[in-house]
Amino acid sequence: MASDEGDDGPLVGRTDTLAEVQSDLRNVGPGGTAAVFVTGESGVGKSRLLRETARAMNATGVAVLSGTCLDIGDASPLHPVLQALRQLDPELRQIDQPDDPGALLDRVSRDLRTVAGDRHLLLVLDDLQWADRSTRQLLLYLLAGLGGIRLSVLAAVRAEALHGAHPLRRVLAELRRLRSVRVVDLSPLDQEQTLELVNAIAGGGIEPEDSDRVFKRSGGNPFVVEELARDLRDGRIELSDTLREIFLSRVDELPPKAHAVVHAVAAGVEPIEHSVLARVTKLPEDELIDAIRAAVAHRFVASTAEGYRLRHRLVAEILEAEVLPAEAAALHRRYAEAMEGGGAVDHARLAHHWQKAGEPARALPSVVAAARSAEQMYGFTEAHRYWSLALDLIAGDAPERTELLAHAAESAHLCGEHQRALARLAELAGRPDAPGRCELHLRRARYLAAAGRSATAEVEYELALQAPDCAPRQRASAAAYLAELLVHLGRYADAYERATEALDLAAENGTTADLVRASAALGFSSAFREDPDAGLAVIRQAVEIAERSGHPDDMGVAYLHLAELLAGPLNNVEEGVLVARRGAERLASLGVGRTYQTRLLAIAGNGLFRVGQWAEADQVLEAAMRHRPSGADAVELLLARCRLWVGFGDVDAAHRDLDAVATLLAGGGARHVLPMLTLRAGLAMWQRRHAQARAAVQRGLTETRSDDLVLLGVLAWHGLRAEAEALTDGERIDPGAIRRLKTVVERMAEGVGTAATPVRAVIDGYIDLCNAEISRIEERHDPEPWLRAAVAWDRRSQPYPAAYSRLRRAEAALTRKTRKATAVVALREAYATTIAMGARPLAAEIVATAHRFRVALADDTDTVPINPPGPDPDDELGVLTQREREVLAAVAEGLTNREIGERLFISERTVGVHVGHIFDKLQVRTRVQASRVFLTAA
Amino acid sequence: MTQSVWGPVRQEMSDLLQSHPDDVPAVVDQLTKLQDILGRVPPLLAENPLCDFNKLYLTITEGVLERLYGGKFKDPAFLSRLDVEFAARYFDALRAWAGPDTSPHCPRVWSGLFQRIPGPDCRPLPSACAGVNAHINFDLPFALVTTFDHLGTDPIDDSDQHHDYLQINEIFAVAIPGLRRGYLDKWQLLIDTMNGSLDDWWQGEAVEYTRNVAWRNAQKLWVMRHDMSATDKQRAHLDRVAAQLGGLLLSPLGEFLQ
Repeated sequence: MASDEGDDGPLVGRTDTLAEVQSDLRNVGPGGTAAVFVTGESGVGKSRLLRETARAMNATGVAVLSGTCLDIGDASPLHPVLQALRQLDPELRQIDQPDDPGALLDRVSRDLRTVAGDRHLLLVLDDLQWADRSTRQLLLYLLAGLGGIRLSVLAAVRAEALHGAHPLRRVLAELRRLRSVRVVDLSPLDQEQTLELVNAIAGGGIEPEDSDRVFKRSGGNPFVVEELARDLRDGRIELSDTLREIFLSRVDELPPKAHAVVHAVAAGVEPIEHSVLARVTKLPEDELIDAIRAAVAHRFVASTAEGYRLRHRLVAEILEAEVLPAEAAALHRRYAEAMEGGGAVDHARLAHHWQKAGEPARALPSVVAAARSAEQMYGFTEAHRYWSLALDLIAGDAPERTELLAHAAESAHLCGEHQRALARLAELAGRPDAPGRCELHLRRARYLAAAGRSATAEVEYELALQAPDCAPRQRASAAAYLAELLVHLGRYADAYERATEALDLAAENGTTADLVRASAALGFSSAFREDPDAGLAVIRQAVEIAERSGHPDDMGVAYLHLAELLAGPLNNVEEGVLVARRGAERLASLGVGRTYQTRLLAIAGNGLFRVGQWAEADQVLEAAMRHRPSGADAVELLLARCRLWVGFGDVDAAHRDLDAVATLLAGGGARHVLPMLTLRAGLAMWQRRHAQARAAVQRGLTETRSDDLVLLGVLAWHGLRAEAEALTDGERIDPGAIRRLKTVVERMAEGVGTAATPVRAVIDGYIDLCNAEISRIEERHDPEPWLRAAVAWDRRSQPYPAAYSRLRRAEAALTRKTRKATAVVALREAYATTIAMGARPLAAEIVATAHRFRVALADDTDTVPINPPGPDPDDELGVLTQREREVLAAVAEGLTNREIGERLFISERTVGVHVGHIFDKLQVRTRVQASRVFLTAA
Repeated sequence: MTQSVWGPVRQEMSDLLQSHPDDVPAVVDQLTKLQDILGRVPPLLAENPLCDFNKLYLTITEGVLERLYGGKFKDPAFLSRLDVEFAARYFDALRAWAGPDTSPHCPRVWSGLFQRIPGPDCRPLPSACAGVNAHINFDLPFALVTTFDHLGTDPIDDSDQHHDYLQINEIFAVAIPGLRRGYLDKWQLLIDTMNGSLDDWWQGEAVEYTRNVAWRNAQKLWVMRHDMSATDKQRAHLDRVAAQLGGLLLSPLGEFLQ
């Protein structure tokens, strides 16, 4: 929008802003990205500021890429970024259909990296209020550092858009909290600056009352000031009252052919190429050039390298009202014809012109094509808009309507427009050639479940099962989905029954996906009904079946379920980790299921964190990040990695990942806010920023469902610990916060009885920690509650909270001067654990405590185990994981699996799985051979 | 910029409005500080009409916070986001206020109340109600749409979110005893003097009814939220209607309510 490079008036009153914006853009945060969003009313000079900044930064060696979002409301996904890329390199025009949305973002990032080379990249986006959802998501992905590009984003947003209900409003509200993001509100010029601009344009000698009038009429809006000043300069005595009047009087002065050019440009989209304009205006070359010159001279049209456009959006708005509807329709028709005659077809734009030309029938094929291509780019929001548009274009009795409705419903479902999906489906159901009843019930159930309306979804699944036209395969599918839904609702007895039935149906008539789903539901419901072995066996079998089917989705889902069941409710973390890694390896070896690999590795990373194998967890999470995940998967991984940084005490890295999470969550996603807040509190505590920790916990408490006792437990522990730490540091504690936290602990204690057994153990662990912290706040110096907590977490095989509890237990005992010997043992044990994990901040606290009470942490070197050395590439054992090396060492000592399990606190079965992997990796077949390899290497 | 409308508290006001609270405890904190600052705006000091509204709003938000801590809502993440987004719109209006005729971005309904800060004085209850009117009739539907959009859920009747939303009515009922039954007749009488445009959406029970209207308006906006020009039109319409009612509340007629 706005004027072209050669035609700019002087820039007044923006010198400081310009310098600040550049400095902010260069000042990238720890994630290597920065962003400045310029907001302001139309005509205030946003585009100009963007242009000047881009020019200045380009001059200092920054790679600049500029794009403009379109207001035609139905641009194709990622339009502004792809358009910007194409301008630089037409080769980048074609994007092959990516395997998943992540692959698409990855692909665009790669192109951006190519453009940038080794330079810093500045991405400039004008009119961001018109950006499609895909573009907004790409922006957040890049700013979170997931694209692996050091870049700055400079974008302009019309202030008017942010006052209503525009999604950018929330996005900017969240982003502006980050240190690397600035929102600059560009205000109109003040009276003095207006005067300066008026004089600069009119060449001085302006009467003060004239410039006063300009200020009053323009409100300091530079675009209006400039035009009024030109009127003054040109000797118009009667100053126009509005911008409209200025331009309408100029319209009257235009030669007729220039008039035609202006109207033609107004009806076009984006810069209009000379050849297109020639075809649309049907003017001979010489006349066309004269007409364009006149239009430029009268300041309607600007000419740039890419083509012609109106000088400003405000001009377009004025002209809109001036063109007769019939005139506009004729122009759009000519654009459409020119495009169809011109080879390469942009479906979105063609559809736009045909529609505006009042030719719905000719628009329809383009609209459908645009919908399909949007779906290929995972732009379901855009696709849904096209399918809806297609429905608007055809009559109610047209036969195509049925198929269009089906597409519209599904795309609405996929982009989260639940209500619309259901409304489309309702209309579809009323068609004479509607799909069968069972099919409709199934779809409605799926849409309802996605909308979180579980009760109604359940009814629909039941109706699908009862439908007379329900085919065996549909029955299997409905039963499996229903069982899954019941597990989510926590109705394990019902789920168990349904799943059993579904499994029979699926085994006979179902797809592998149904079978896997039913098996998982059976597995989880059994686990929660305290019959874990039966459920485990079923899911193991499902994994085998999925393996045989070889379908990546089925395999991915089956491995995920098995790993989650083991690491979650069954608390067999070690084996869960093994399964997850094995699944990821299997998929990687087949070269498929990137998303599932990422998710499996996330489970493995989290599991390794819990069992205290942090170095290993770090490696696994790095491997997962190399898959360049996006969306919720990326958030999960970043949170997992950040948890590790907090444990390691790497403050910078933790902040970086927290910022990246906050950036991604600016686009939505309530589910991950609470883990983010917990980590924020944990990090603030290591930094002794108790008020920050308290604020994060208090916010968490206001946003947690009262029945989510595990989350409440984590939060309450963090909150109470923050108060206890504040007390230790001699800072103010917050009695109100403590009172509320105690209430939460009471609620947990009341609710824990009704929780399922696997969950109960976790909640109990947190209740123990909370009670122990309360005793610390009350300065009771009681080692007992801490001992209880340590034992509880030992039982859960989670060394980190156990070591923390031992530290506090020792501290309490040493303060009381009772049972000093036991305290010293506990302290040393905690120290050994934390050193082995690499938990530096906790280790530092243990050392400080030991100093304070003059306790030697290590009276001989043996009590301080050193971190096992990292894998040596030349070493034959380098292929083994840390745990596998430990198991192999024990094997070489001649221990049995049972003995090894007892020594390493893992089940005999898990040892067996480890041994199997060791044999595979070392390519040996017996324990003796394996021992020989070990002894040779060691 | 002309001289500030906030007089001696100008700097404090602008400093306070620099921050953008992102959780309900922070909103309560901001409103508390605002209450103190507003009480020092001459000439009316604590008697000024915005003070009356802010006090009521603070009380209500404290009530919301208490219920959030008490685990009383089904979807607290929704309610917290709504509360934050709702408050943000009040703070936005304050930020945009630079005086009559010089605040193009301040909604008319808020301008109507803000320009009465220096007087003439108005009774506390109608003043508070004028603010409630602006905040509920104008801000709330947009805050609802933004919140639902951000959380990826739809405004559906009888949903968890709807039930949580309706709980706020109870807080209002406790906080504004003046709007309970006894006063509704007067309120109705006031409405009856209005012309037709308000009549059809203002026939019922003050705040409860208005909050339902806000919910319905949010549902209406929800459907058109991707259409920026339609949303803008609806926004201007809601502003106009609410501004009319606000003007009435602050007129001598409004003293009915006290």
